[in-house]
Amino acid sequence: MARLRAILGALFTAFRRDTKSLGSFASNNFFLMSLLFLRQAGVFVYLIVGLVMFFPLSTDPLRKIPPVRLALWPLSPRERRLLRIASPWLNPLTWILAALAVWAASGKVTVALWAAIAAVFTLGFVAPSLPLAPSKELWRRIPNLPGPLNHLIRKNLRELLSTLDFYAALILSVTVLVSRVAGRRLPQEALLPITVLIVLALSSYAQSLFGLDGPAALTRYHLLPVRGWQVLAAKDAAFLLAAFVLTLPLAPLLGLAGALAALAVGHAPSVNRRREQTRWRFSSGASFGNGLGQLVLMAGAAGLVQANPLFLLPLLAGYLGSTWWYGLVIERGRLDS
Amino acid sequence: MISCRDLTRRFGDFTAVDHLTLEVAGGAICALLGPNGAGKSTTVKMLTGLLPPSSGQATVAGLDVAKNPLEIKRRIGVLPEDLGLFDDLTVEEHLLLTGRIYGLTSHETTLRTEQLLRVLSLADGRNTFAGYCSNGMRKKTAFAMALLPNPQVLFLDEPFESIDPLTSKIMHDLLISVAARGVTVFLTSHILSMAERIANQFIMIRGGKIVWNSSLVELTQPLEDMYFDLVESPSAEDLAWLGCGRS
Repeated sequence: MARLRAILGALFTAFRRDTKSLGSFASNNFFLMSLLFLRQAGVFVYLIVGLVMFFPLSTDPLRKIPPVRLALWPLSPRERRLLRIASPWLNPLTWILAALAVWAASGKVTVALWAAIAAVFTLGFVAPSLPLAPSKELWRRIPNLPGPLNHLIRKNLRELLSTLDFYAALILSVTVLVSRVAGRRLPQEALLPITVLIVLALSSYAQSLFGLDGPAALTRYHLLPVRGWQVLAAKDAAFLLAAFVLTLPLAPLLGLAGALAALAVGHAPSVNRRREQTRWRFSSGASFGNGLGQLVLMAGAAGLVQANPLFLLPLLAGYLGSTWWYGLVIERGRLDS
Repeated sequence: MISCRDLTRRFGDFTAVDHLTLEVAGGAICALLGPNGAGKSTTVKMLTGLLPPSSGQATVAGLDVAKNPLEIKRRIGVLPEDLGLFDDLTVEEHLLLTGRIYGLTSHETTLRTEQLLRVLSLADGRNTFAGYCSNGMRKKTAFAMALLPNPQVLFLDEPFESIDPLTSKIMHDLLISVAARGVTVFLTSHILSMAERIANQFIMIRGGKIVWNSSLVELTQPLEDMYFDLVESPSAEDLAWLGCGRS
């Protein structure tokens, strides 16, 4: 038992230190928007909150121990079984889930809601153990693009595809597409808000463009004979491409306007305050202020471009200015600090 | 080809590299040797523009490192300490990216990529994402990226660690032949036997300071003896509890 106590104690310390994922939902634009505007939506908003909140937290504490190390430790099969049973209880969500189960049994929480939250929790718990090779195979098929930055842009697209932000936006986009294919007419006044909503779902990623690049990738950016603005442009190209494709069923030009605004605001936190992100999680934005700034600018830019497409030109000029400036900041080595 | 004068790097109160002065001629293979934390990687980072020096000057391929960062990057090939690979690119994509970014034509890039994949036994794993590669494959990919643009100067931070004997031999032969064609090689290593076989200039550092430079003082004894005399001596303490009193 002394061995088990020692391992569980170390796991508890490691799990407690890893509080990064706790903050990931708090500064995600989609989550903030859900809280601000969908308070009246009842169970729906709870499910969104549940999805955004519970998924990042639902990790198996035992994964903190490298599998090889765990296999090498002189533990008996019984001790290993006990460790497997005891370790999930280091995650506070397990206790919450148990409490919800008790409430569900007493009728205070609907069984369906409990089941939905439990499913999200379980998915987050086991997802890292699932073989992800097929998706990597799929990503290999991202088409080549013209220009010397081709492979950098493809890499950045693959990174974007490994965030949940993309899939939240994809669900919205596919819903609109299906509705249109089914012959339902979308009210003209809904075009702008739904387009902005799709870009909004992606926009937290624009505040943490280098979050999925490890230290080695940052070294490579500095070694490549390219200017800082080119490194940033390769990031932006992937984001703009995704935003454009996802808003195709609605108003791609407005989507582009919103995406340019999101990037122009997102460059500063991406470069000045790089925060590491986790794959298969929602991106965390830099702050509530940045998220609000993005939201207001995205809506404003898309609205202006809807009124007159020529407004895209000053927006483009502002975006290019931001790219140039923060490219210089990258060249000064700001990303590493 | 590589020259630095009073190169110094401080991190707060800690001085990692302390007034380093050295010269490496064109076509030389210079091995920078020293224990962990001696300042080898910090020196390489300063010479390749990855880290600005706190004071002092460095020139590489005739250019001031601080004043011409972009032009220097075009002239050097680097195998950095952390390898500098992207998890989301395959081995082959890393090489294709390098060729295009260094201004090679698509045809030339493909040609050199194929050759490097073949020579470094990377062809079978060409479609493997770097994030899924073994340490050895990752190191070979980063090495191939350093060679592909045909640089004037090669900086290799611990190139032989975690490499299989055959690739180690191939890398050794490649470096000897490129140096014979005028390319300057500056490498760090903990494998003294390999350094002794490949290099023709040795610099030993300890605590960020040069303790011996073979271009100034001749090698009077085997490199390993010299290293243990000048840089660090093996610990003589006996771990008496090891192997005793086991139940």
